[in-house]
Amino acid sequence: MNESKAVHERKHVWRDEILLIVVMCVFVGIVYALDNALKPQFTPSTLLLTGVFLALVPAFIWLVFFYLQDRAEPEPKGFVLGVFALGGLFAAAIGIPMTDGLFRVSHWLYTDALTTIMGGILVVGFTQEYLKYAAVRYSIYNSSEFDEPTDGVIYATAAGLGYATVLNINFVVSNGGVDLGSGIIRMAVVALAQAAFSGITGYFLGRAKFESEPVWWMPLGITLAAIFNGLFNWLQGAVTQPQITLSGSITPTWLGLVLAAVVALATTGVILWLVRRSIKSLQAGK
Amino acid sequence: MANKQGSLGDRFAEFTVILVTVIALAAGWFYKSGVENASVPFEAEGVSAQAPKGWLSSEPSGEELFRAVDRNSSGFGTTYTIRQIAVTSEATASEVASAVALKNAQELLAFRILEQQEVLDSNGRSAFMIEYVYVESNPDLTHAELPSVVRGMDLVYLNGERALVVSFHADENNFELDLERFHTFLKSVTY
Repeated sequence: MNESKAVHERKHVWRDEILLIVVMCVFVGIVYALDNALKPQFTPSTLLLTGVFLALVPAFIWLVFFYLQDRAEPEPKGFVLGVFALGGLFAAAIGIPMTDGLFRVSHWLYTDALTTIMGGILVVGFTQEYLKYAAVRYSIYNSSEFDEPTDGVIYATAAGLGYATVLNINFVVSNGGVDLGSGIIRMAVVALAQAAFSGITGYFLGRAKFESEPVWWMPLGITLAAIFNGLFNWLQGAVTQPQITLSGSITPTWLGLVLAAVVALATTGVILWLVRRSIKSLQAGK
Repeated sequence: MANKQGSLGDRFAEFTVILVTVIALAAGWFYKSGVENASVPFEAEGVSAQAPKGWLSSEPSGEELFRAVDRNSSGFGTTYTIRQIAVTSEATASEVASAVALKNAQELLAFRILEQQEVLDSNGRSAFMIEYVYVESNPDLTHAELPSVVRGMDLVYLNGERALVVSFHADENNFELDLERFHTFLKSVTY
């Protein structure tokens, strides 16, 4: 009886996950089609509102997607949303001023492939991953609600999605709303990637709280997340950096976007596998 | 589940995360400095300099010996130029600078001089400096883009019967931030 209930629940979750992915694709398709058909012109205020809307929708779809993974003992929605907001706050108050203002990454990061990878890992990757880690470590981590290793992934992905939302709003506003069609695909991919990379940190954080891990365990988690972040950043850089040739310039938008999406999806796959394995071992322990 | 939150090991792990992040960011800062200070040698008509690596540069043409543009700049691309102008042996640097400013006023939109004075550069060489501002607008009328406010600085050096004008142009938002790097370039200019 219990086994049949578990199978039923699993089918239910799979159905919801597929539905969410379909909703994401439909949303992206609608925005892409509307941008191509209407070519909207924005005032500063409508641009900001559009940016907020276009950044929030993919983030919330992915937030529900990751929230559904916590089948053993779902976390309070208010706490998850709180960590989401904290991730966004850290991005706006510290992350973006640090990478764009202090390190001025746009001036040197795309000089060559090696620089993009090294700068992407050391500056962008570590800044973002540490702030997403801090959003969990100095808030919910000390709460009694953080009561199983899987919670690390759930809360860290929420922090990552909050961070991605602010990055995406910044992207729309700083580009003046130009080319929202391919921009919305980028935003959906960035949101998934930020969630997945912080999911790596979250997995290490969850294990660190409940199991006796060595001292290098947590730094390893942050470093791995920063490396994936840097690689993603490099692939995504191919989206925005035109290749200048004798016959003009070519912007290989789709190739970079597809490769970046592959990294994001692969990382998400690994995170989901780790979460399910953790839930299984927890249920087997009970 | 049992947790080890608040334990000595947990606090030590937290400290190591901060330490690793700080080390990574410091390494990133040094890497950034290395990339920004990377240069390639340039030489034309007896003038040499260390040009920023990775910038778009053009071949000498007419008065202009050197032009390099930072394609990664936001807004107006930060630009360094070196021009040589034939002058009489009696001409002073301030006279040449005035002539250059007059030409700029005729060619550049909303050109205004902000400051002008004799200066000593970081190599101890005497020069006449003019700092100014103007508006740069894309000549393509179909290009939906706001014009950029550009700040510029010309340093005029006299060298026998020629004057060298070393210029720095940057978007108003980047001017102060890019100034230090321009001074490094200026220091490398020899004639």
